[in-house]
Amino acid sequence: MNFVILSLVMLAIGIYGLLTKRQLLKVFISIELIATAATLNFVMLASSAGQGLGQAFLILAFSTDTALSAVILSLLVIVTKKYGTSNINEILKMQEKRDSEAEQ
Amino acid sequence: MILEILSIGLIVSACLALFLDEVMYSVAALSGTFLFTALLYYVNGAIYAAIFQFAVGVGTLAILFLSGEMLSDKSTKKTSPKKTVALIGAGVVLTLPAIFLSISSSTGTYSDASFGNALWNLSGVDVILQALVILTVALGIAIILYERRNGGK
Repeated sequence: MNFVILSLVMLAIGIYGLLTKRQLLKVFISIELIATAATLNFVMLASSAGQGLGQAFLILAFSTDTALSAVILSLLVIVTKKYGTSNINEILKMQEKRDSEAEQ
Repeated sequence: MILEILSIGLIVSACLALFLDEVMYSVAALSGTFLFTALLYYVNGAIYAAIFQFAVGVGTLAILFLSGEMLSDKSTKKTSPKKTVALIGAGVVLTLPAIFLSISSSTGTYSDASFGNALWNLSGVDVILQALVILTVALGIAIILYERRNGGK
């Protein structure tokens, strides 16, 4: 069982979702998957090496991950309330429309 | 054997979380991802990591369920069972390299530091304090934004 390859597969799934998904919540889920892949790699390597320090560092990774999630979710709520949709394509269209109206 | 089953569950639930059409089902699948990750940590002996992962996962899922229900566009389109089965198959196939391939690694000299030893002798406390500082900063930013929003009204 190779956990480096497992976390690489998780990372690839997350990056694919980040690049292809148009729903903001799906983008957020992709970021969560990427963060999970990173912590998985970190903890499994440290645990297989018998290092307890890996678990201590995990607390730092989780705190940054939680702060990141809070900021992303607040931005997501603001954008969805402002534009009335969570689809990135529709938000971009509305933004372009507003810009063109402002220029005229 | 248990590690392979957990790994397959992890990748399958990650695929389902990303590719299911309805957001609530995606969040439910993401809960499986967090659960399998915590179980993988536990089986590998990283008990504290498993507990932290479980706690953080539960918090994230609570927020995600609420925001998913609030913000997602209500679509009547249902995911077909054929697509779900295809996603599960894709997840199983994606796990196969991790099960059968191996990367040769040089065996270094590893210390057998326990969690308590790492915490007190290997600067683990510093890491926890940095984490507390980051959490405090994030909380402060949230409070400032909240106050500014209330002051603007």
